[in-house]
Amino acid sequence: MHSILQRPAGVLASASTVVSLQGDLVRGTVRRLHRHLRAVARRRNAQTVVLDFSAAGKIDSSGLAAISLLARHLQRSGRTLELVQLAPHHETTLALLPKTSAVPEPSDPPPGALERVGSSVVEAGEAARGLFGLVAETGRQALAVLTRRRRLPAGALSTQIAKMGVDGVFIVGLLSFLLGMTMAFQGAVQLQRFGAGPFVADMIGLTMVREIGPLMTAVILTGRTGAAIAAELGTMRVRSEIDALTTMGIEPVRFLILPRMLSITIVGPALSLLGMFVGMAGGMLVATVTLDLPVTMFWQRMVQRVELGDFAHGLVKSLVFAWIIGFAASHLGMRASGDASSVGNATTRTVVSSIFFIIIVDALFATVTLLVRHG
Amino acid sequence: MSPPLVECRNLTVGYDGMPVLEGIDLTIEDGEIVALLGGSGCGKSTLLRAMTGLLVPLSGELRVLGEPLYELGTEERAKLLRRTGTAFQQDALFGSMSIGENIALPLRELTKLPGPIIDEMVALRLAMVGLAGYEGRPPTSLSGGQRKRAALARASILDPEVMFCDEPSAGLDPAIAASIDQTLLQFRAALGITIVIVTHEVASIETIADRAIMFADHQIIARGTIAELAASKQEEVFGFFHRVADGEAPTLTAR
Repeated sequence: MHSILQRPAGVLASASTVVSLQGDLVRGTVRRLHRHLRAVARRRNAQTVVLDFSAAGKIDSSGLAAISLLARHLQRSGRTLELVQLAPHHETTLALLPKTSAVPEPSDPPPGALERVGSSVVEAGEAARGLFGLVAETGRQALAVLTRRRRLPAGALSTQIAKMGVDGVFIVGLLSFLLGMTMAFQGAVQLQRFGAGPFVADMIGLTMVREIGPLMTAVILTGRTGAAIAAELGTMRVRSEIDALTTMGIEPVRFLILPRMLSITIVGPALSLLGMFVGMAGGMLVATVTLDLPVTMFWQRMVQRVELGDFAHGLVKSLVFAWIIGFAASHLGMRASGDASSVGNATTRTVVSSIFFIIIVDALFATVTLLVRHG
Repeated sequence: MSPPLVECRNLTVGYDGMPVLEGIDLTIEDGEIVALLGGSGCGKSTLLRAMTGLLVPLSGELRVLGEPLYELGTEERAKLLRRTGTAFQQDALFGSMSIGENIALPLRELTKLPGPIIDEMVALRLAMVGLAGYEGRPPTSLSGGQRKRAALARASILDPEVMFCDEPSAGLDPAIAASIDQTLLQFRAALGITIVIVTHEVASIETIADRAIMFADHQIIARGTIAELAASKQEEVFGFFHRVADGEAPTLTAR
């Protein structure tokens, strides 16, 4: 409780320090007032500080805060503040000083390192459980749709395929073409030093089909489609649209996530296939120009070297990558809550975690393939 | 006599060239609490957006604190708007900041007040709106009524000369709505803030407003003290006050 006494003038306690306030106690003057009152509060010789308002003018919120601070300072050292010669308008404003301290009690100390690690583990566990729950529910809803017990929302699949796939053709095609060209440039220079220039066809074919095509497409899909899914679902969550679906008895997973997952299941490998061929075309262009390698020879080497199994390897990988992107985006978008920043967080985390897991899975694929072939 | 704090002369406001309100003439005097009333879509919130610098009027004159708001340059207009406060219907608290940071934002951005004074001002204002000790809480942890009160605290922290409130008690239970009304009355009594409030809560209007201006059919259809409007036999006005008050359709002839 603030120790503020309001007394008429002339009834001052002994051992008092009297401060006469002059002029308006407002934003323009409060810095000086605060400095002065702080100096007064630091003097230990007076048990009571008296503020004389007889010459004081208007008090605004900042002036009120300066007086409140003085009161708290004095209170901490067991002293009191007296307010005298108050005009009615002063009393009205000073009535805003709370009866009890407005300053909150000190909060609990911040958690220690062990507690923070524990919280992170629990949080990660909950997130993983949520993700597995989402995967299971999506599978269940997909089964229900396949067995015709449930329907997809009308037009949702074609709309999503158009958004994810058709609009992504140009960017995937262009980037894959440029990447194929760049790889051929780099490869041709190195291979030519050993007289192995024609092997650039083998290199381009295998890397585009087994590695770069799926990986490049996955990165573009993450940035374009994954971020869009997370932002869209996150915004719907924040605006309570997902709650509205639930209250209407419409399963959000079937209505929102399943069409997106089915679309990305189709679009991911399709774009990846496009990326492979366009990338090979880019490489072929560079090889024929810089190495004078005939197109037919490049094509023959590539056909000899790249087998159907390589295509299957690349397509299976791109399917897994697409699922990683789709589930990460859906899961994080659905977990957004509260405000606009949570949507931004969901989007950022979708991109980072998708790329992280895509690279891990890619490494796993490479390792398993190596073991199967040679071990 | 001091000039009106808000003055509209033959003002037309709307969106994409389509008028929502036309030929509006009104003044808000220093120290008043004035309610802008009307049914949904009548244009009261549109007019408030114009008054708060968010919507360029289609025609006419709008003066806020004696200045022609939309004839000022960007910087001058921003300076003028700093002397006003706005509490939005959707509270508009920044989710990335705590409640204390939300309320301190105008003080930290627009004043050179010392940090301890700012902290104390925030603590006092939160206590005033019944949220003492909520400084560190995120907005998402507050109820609708608490968020509205936090929004009022932020809108008033610079002691504005005039404060615009868009439905501050809409959707809240009567007890919370009444506490918001008391807070607004306290703002006027203790800090001298003039208040323009858009609302259709009859209980709130009767508690706090000195005057009301009622809109319908793209124009002002009535204005006066609350007692005058409540006693009006004009159909829309009667309907507004008595239907909402009594919870049933107006029956003008039956009274």
